[in-house]
Amino acid sequence: MNPEPFLQLDRVIHEKGRLAIMSLLAASPQLAFTEMRDTLNMTDGNITAHIRTLQEAGYVSVTKAFDGGRSITTYSLTAQGKKAFTSYINLLEQIVEQTKGK
Amino acid sequence: MADNWAAEHLQVIRTLMERSAIYRRALAPVMTFTGAIGILAALAGWGLNIETPRGFTAYWTLVGCVALGGSYFLVRRQSLKDAEPFWSPPTRRVTQALLPPVVAGLIASVIIFLKADSNAPEVASVLAMVWQPQGWIVLYGCAMNAAGFFVPRGMKLFGWLFISGGCALFALGIPDVRRLVYAHGVMGLFFGALHLAYGIYLYFTEQRKNAA
Repeated sequence: MNPEPFLQLDRVIHEKGRLAIMSLLAASPQLAFTEMRDTLNMTDGNITAHIRTLQEAGYVSVTKAFDGGRSITTYSLTAQGKKAFTSYINLLEQIVEQTKGK
Repeated sequence: MADNWAAEHLQVIRTLMERSAIYRRALAPVMTFTGAIGILAALAGWGLNIETPRGFTAYWTLVGCVALGGSYFLVRRQSLKDAEPFWSPPTRRVTQALLPPVVAGLIASVIIFLKADSNAPEVASVLAMVWQPQGWIVLYGCAMNAAGFFVPRGMKLFGWLFISGGCALFALGIPDVRRLVYAHGVMGLFFGALHLAYGIYLYFTEQRKNAA
């Protein structure tokens, strides 16, 4: 089997927590911190740490807004994040296809 | 092994993406509020003898607007409480799903309201107070069923209950009871009692955080 797809997998995305965050954001143009936390059942600290890593990689952007006097923080995928996520999915599909074809 | 691992990863991604699109607001308060408004409006309509085709159409259109506005107010209050955006993608999807049947019902009501006086009184009465509420029930069922694709917890079934109930009423023909009682009674039963029953059911079954 060609090991190349494995080697090309994005290490930033290829982590359970970050992959979950990327998956949620890929399906929704924007998500609030609490929505992500409640959907993924992750702790605040865990989410914050993963989001920071994804932000540093340029995959996630943060928007802060005020509604009804409350601060609402929302997250969305950047164009670079969308591209990286699509590549990651394509590589996973390649791996599945390769093994099927064996 | 590698294919299992990759396929499992893809499945997890798919599940999470689907979960992200699901509407998470608690529906029990919305359903209970709508039910209470429906029952009160039916009793008030009956008590106030709102029996003219135009009066009935205008009255229940207004009640529908109050119920809809109140429901969105409740949703907005929930989202503010949770520090989440009100006009989120799932809220948009649910609204888009609701919109076609609701707009169709509204257009039909406007036409019935405007044309009521140009028909014979009996025809106008049957149109406005028998077929119109039945049509509203069927269209509302279509709206609930469409929204049910983005909302968990039996919303599609609730929609089908309205669709089949409305169709059954059409099949029964023109009822031999006083129109005032029939029209407000049907509205109170479907838009009041059924919503209230569903709201109470949701209060006992809905988890506050419906992430799972």
